[in-house]
Amino acid sequence: MLLELANVNINGIVWSDRTFIEEGILHVNKKEIQNLLLRDNRLSDVKIELSSPGEDCVITNVIDVIEPRSKASEKGPEFLGAVDPYGVIGKGKTWVLKGVAVIVSEGLTFNNSASQEIGAIIPMKESTSFLTPYSKLHNIIVLGAPANGITSKEYKIALKTAGLRLAKYLGEVAIGLKANSIRIYNLDNPKEENLSNLPRVAYIFQLLSTQYEPIEGDPVFYGGNIEKIVPTIVIPTEIMDGAITAPYDSRYMETYFIQNHPILEELFLRHRKDFIFCGVIIMTAPNNAEEVERVTTIAANLVEYTLRAECAILTKAGGGAPEWVMMRVAQKCEQRGIKTALAFLHMGIDMTQPNTKPTTIFYAEEVDAMVSMGAPLGTIRLSKTERVIGKKEVFEKFIYKQEFPLRYIRGAFSQLGNSKLKAIRY
Amino acid sequence: MRIVHYLNQFFAGKGGEEKANMLPEIFEGAIGPGIGLQKLLSEKFKIVATIICGDNYITENMDSALEKIIPLVERQKPEFLIAGPAFLAGRYGMACGGICKSVSEKLGILAIAAMHPENPGVDLYHMDVYIVSTGSSIREMNEALYKIARFVTKIAEGKKLNPIEDGYIPRGIIENVEAEKTGAQRVIEMLLSKIRGQKYESEVSIPKYDRVIPALSAKPIKDKLIAIVTDGGLVPKGNPDRIESINATHFGMYNIEGKQILSKGEFEVSHSGYESRFVVDNPNRLVPLDALRFFEDIGRIGKIHHTFFSTTGVGTGITNAKKMGQKIANILVSESVGAVILTST
Repeated sequence: MLLELANVNINGIVWSDRTFIEEGILHVNKKEIQNLLLRDNRLSDVKIELSSPGEDCVITNVIDVIEPRSKASEKGPEFLGAVDPYGVIGKGKTWVLKGVAVIVSEGLTFNNSASQEIGAIIPMKESTSFLTPYSKLHNIIVLGAPANGITSKEYKIALKTAGLRLAKYLGEVAIGLKANSIRIYNLDNPKEENLSNLPRVAYIFQLLSTQYEPIEGDPVFYGGNIEKIVPTIVIPTEIMDGAITAPYDSRYMETYFIQNHPILEELFLRHRKDFIFCGVIIMTAPNNAEEVERVTTIAANLVEYTLRAECAILTKAGGGAPEWVMMRVAQKCEQRGIKTALAFLHMGIDMTQPNTKPTTIFYAEEVDAMVSMGAPLGTIRLSKTERVIGKKEVFEKFIYKQEFPLRYIRGAFSQLGNSKLKAIRY
Repeated sequence: MRIVHYLNQFFAGKGGEEKANMLPEIFEGAIGPGIGLQKLLSEKFKIVATIICGDNYITENMDSALEKIIPLVERQKPEFLIAGPAFLAGRYGMACGGICKSVSEKLGILAIAAMHPENPGVDLYHMDVYIVSTGSSIREMNEALYKIARFVTKIAEGKKLNPIEDGYIPRGIIENVEAEKTGAQRVIEMLLSKIRGQKYESEVSIPKYDRVIPALSAKPIKDKLIAIVTDGGLVPKGNPDRIESINATHFGMYNIEGKQILSKGEFEVSHSGYESRFVVDNPNRLVPLDALRFFEDIGRIGKIHHTFFSTTGVGTGITNAKKMGQKIANILVSESVGAVILTST
């Protein structure tokens, strides 16, 4: 399957009475977007805000970040199953707005009482822009209020879908423009080439942990929820082309870096040079031992017999418990002679251990190649800001006056491999 | 810069086990390993005095030994205290750690111990003092002294230290640093090295766990005093001992004398790692007092201990868990408890 991404660079965003791109500036028609998103009768109100890098502004209650994209045909499909009902993704041409993101915020809903209700934030100021890649983007923020009689679950799904819809709407603006760059992703291996001497690599992508109750009906994989999926083989270009969105309010995982998955990017770069990238398995981390044993065996079986991989990369989702699930897959692979390397953000680190390196919460001697992507520790003192998109009152009452944990800054930590952070013991 | 060096009786050349009860004494200048250390240090550093104490005396009388040692150190007005190297010698390692902790807390000077990572002094003191990591025996003395000298020189310059480069045992602090490449690039490069049979170094290690041999079952239990210990975080309403809901550092003991059951409303759960609603509704499902009273009444077990023990087992460091376990076990033994029910969540 061959996917072509046509990237159009955006260097600024402004309000306008029409949505279009001119000389790298994205003009945005607020009314048109509101009308589009308010067609969903689960939402009673939609607010759209803009914020560019360096602005003295903080966005609160961020539940997802999405890159605007659209298939070359105006009918889509984009975010198949979640936004558009029919079509094929993972191949063909997709237009991408580079340097822009849709930020989905719950900031219109909660009462302004407690500090924890600020959720995850994105500070846009220059002085804190090193903290998260999202503060370096021109952001279009969508906030929605629930319609009367709508349950919290229905509201959350509607809000997330509004973000996806807005990302598609903005992506459509790029169709037919001159692309600043074109990237081709192709997993095909022409038969005449002799690549048999290269090792076959699989990527095992843990997408959701059920240690916290997932939202019923959350459109994650082709518009369906994945709480009960068994490990499934997915073509990597499908993932990059909107087949997967981040589970609602995921920790350390946003749709933006699923669309621009750093591990998939690297695997494609080296595909047919250093190895054969033979496929991706998506899976969840169940919350009970029996299910963990079943799904980890299924995943190892797929790696060994279906993908016929000789080695595998693994990452994880969620908190500390999914580290165990990732380990069991790696251990089962290693026991079958399939070599593994793991990369993860440490969630259950034992500070008191005298080891020189950060440690795992599991014990498995077979698992001997692990990359640290940092630990979600540390705080920062945020200054008072002119503009709060979301919950101004909460921010002013609680947030800027105290040490703010970095883990509540969207994008400060990631399970998907984009960050250079590494945890070190001192 | 003035340094006071601490040695045990053996390394100071005073004698072996027969001198292990020696009281603290101070001598001018460097002695034994201190002479070698002085040679490795630049002229800026001078070992002005050496304090010597018997291993048994100090480990059995830590408080009174420290009361004698601290003023001896203080009088020398040193910038540094160096203790050891103690290698794998357990009592010596504990003495080095204890003195360094106390000296740095009370006198505010930099105190550095040196020993093997498996010396019991490490578990006790690595969070409080810098411990330079050494080999296991006296055969590795030269290397140990070289590492101490390098460490002292670097710390005196006020440079930021790193356990891997500077050879000390981490002190329970974790920080994020920026690597040259992203996590995605590093994990793929690591996998490539692994499949090509090239050298690679994992950035994460698996923790060291002690092997615990399960105790023999305590049968018969007809006449035994039974205690309940839980890591499910059950505490009286208001959490009077402030047991942490994650990474607990201490435990509580709660009286159940005269109680037939644990009543709803009297307890709460301080534990952020599981759905605890069912325990709040009926605390007996975590601390099974109702069932134990039944067996006590019909004579199947002896008495039930008058308190239950409770802490929180989520994100709890092994060092703290071990300390709590040892304390609880000591209480249980001293109160003649014959069998324990451990409940975990």
